[in-house]
Amino acid sequence: MRAGLSFGGLLAVVLVIAAVAGSFAYLDMPLGALFTGAAAGEIADFVGRFFPPELAPAFLAKVGWAALETLAISLVSTVLAAVAGAVLALPAAGRHGVAGRVAARFVLNLLRSVPELVWATLMVLAAGLGPFAGTLALALHTTGVLGRLFAEALENTPPAPAEALAGTGAPSLAAFLYGTFPLVAAQWLAYALYRWEMNIRMAAILGFVGAGGLGALLYFSLSLFHEAEASTVILAMLAMAVVVDGVSAWLRRASA
Amino acid sequence: MGFSLEGVGLTHANGFRALRGVDLRIAAGERVALIGASGAGKTTLLRVLAASLRPGEGRVKLLDGEPWVCAPAALRRLRARIGLVHQSPPIPPRQRVVTAVLAGRLGQWPLWKSLASLVLPVDPDGARQALARLDLAERLYERCDRLSGGQLQRVALARVLYQQPDLLLADEPVSAMDPALSELTISLLNEEATRRGVTLVASLHAVDLALRHFPRVVGVKDGTILFDLPAAQVSDALLRELYAAEGGLPLVGGLRAPEPAETAGELPPLRCA
Repeated sequence: MRAGLSFGGLLAVVLVIAAVAGSFAYLDMPLGALFTGAAAGEIADFVGRFFPPELAPAFLAKVGWAALETLAISLVSTVLAAVAGAVLALPAAGRHGVAGRVAARFVLNLLRSVPELVWATLMVLAAGLGPFAGTLALALHTTGVLGRLFAEALENTPPAPAEALAGTGAPSLAAFLYGTFPLVAAQWLAYALYRWEMNIRMAAILGFVGAGGLGALLYFSLSLFHEAEASTVILAMLAMAVVVDGVSAWLRRASA
Repeated sequence: MGFSLEGVGLTHANGFRALRGVDLRIAAGERVALIGASGAGKTTLLRVLAASLRPGEGRVKLLDGEPWVCAPAALRRLRARIGLVHQSPPIPPRQRVVTAVLAGRLGQWPLWKSLASLVLPVDPDGARQALARLDLAERLYERCDRLSGGQLQRVALARVLYQQPDLLLADEPVSAMDPALSELTISLLNEEATRRGVTLVASLHAVDLALRHFPRVVGVKDGTILFDLPAAQVSDALLRELYAAEGGLPLVGGLRAPEPAETAGELPPLRCA
């Protein structure tokens, strides 16, 4: 083997550079304009309008309630998704025959491949504006994700403990809960907590399509060019994400 | 109340022929040891007796029922009366000892009771008594992954003691225990079977344990029954034939000098391996 770049490697580098250059040309991006003195002034001006954040008590209370709504949406949707995901994971892991496996996998794929924002738009049309639509949308997408992860955990679990219990005549639900569930519980919880962290960020965004919470507030503020208010909402989102990450890390440690 | 096998043959899914034309009849209350080299078919035979494996050929009668002829509900009821101690304890590592022991009666309890017991153990005293007989009572609320291999095997035994089956089966129940503990544990199994008048079948790797504790010994070789004799009639020649492939007799070893009155007295010359 020779030292240095092979012909194939060289070709790949040239192709990537050509693709990037082509993309810039196609998108017609005036990148140069970002670095002029006038642009710098405009940027400073734009960012400056977000400061200081709006701290009037009435608005803070509004943000607080919206944050609670976002938290509730993410929590309820994740719990619903974890339950529905567990129910679908059993057939998806092949525990009820081949037909059940194919059907469950199809449903999970369908739920997962439609993004949250699309589900939210559909649910707003179906169930009307508000947090209910946001909760349903997040629950549907997360069911698809968690169901697939749960099923994979189940497939990697040794069957001996549950089989031994079935061998003493235990009903299949009891054999599952005593023989299989303890083996996957920690992993299932870790997956659910991870999705909860993602859902709280997503719940903050869903308000943009009318599904309630902090996102709705952010959308109103920005539409009315109230940048100071928007800044408060963004800070609230950040704070909530930090708190939820901490809580979920603590829960994971406690369950390990 | 015993069981009988007639011409039982079984081929595993991978094509391995584990049992061939096995005839075995054991009366209620008998205590039988299965011995034989690794891979001889002892585990498969025990799983057939536990109504867990369905043989491809022959007839199986267990506790006066035919497991593969009766309805699924009857099969479940039959299985609830059979207790099998597995070779490697099939217990989830994160489960608490009390839950693992109480799981022995899942086949007898109604479902709501099994579910309630997951939240709050419904019969901790029963579990404690079963564990106390194996000297593990103080580990009741410990997690199973904090136990040693031998302790875990005793938890699996406690589960079967708690189940109180009519047919008690054990697949190498002492493989992870030291000699003194093996001795005690095998005594306990025999005592339990005698006290409750139930049938006991245990496969053992240590020949001296089998000969000392069980009135009847069945030698299994290459999926067939080589001999089926009272312990006193098991000769050195038969044992040598049984373990021909392994090149020596597996014994608990260095335990104590066997009492001259017992058949094990013939064994020391065989320790050459």
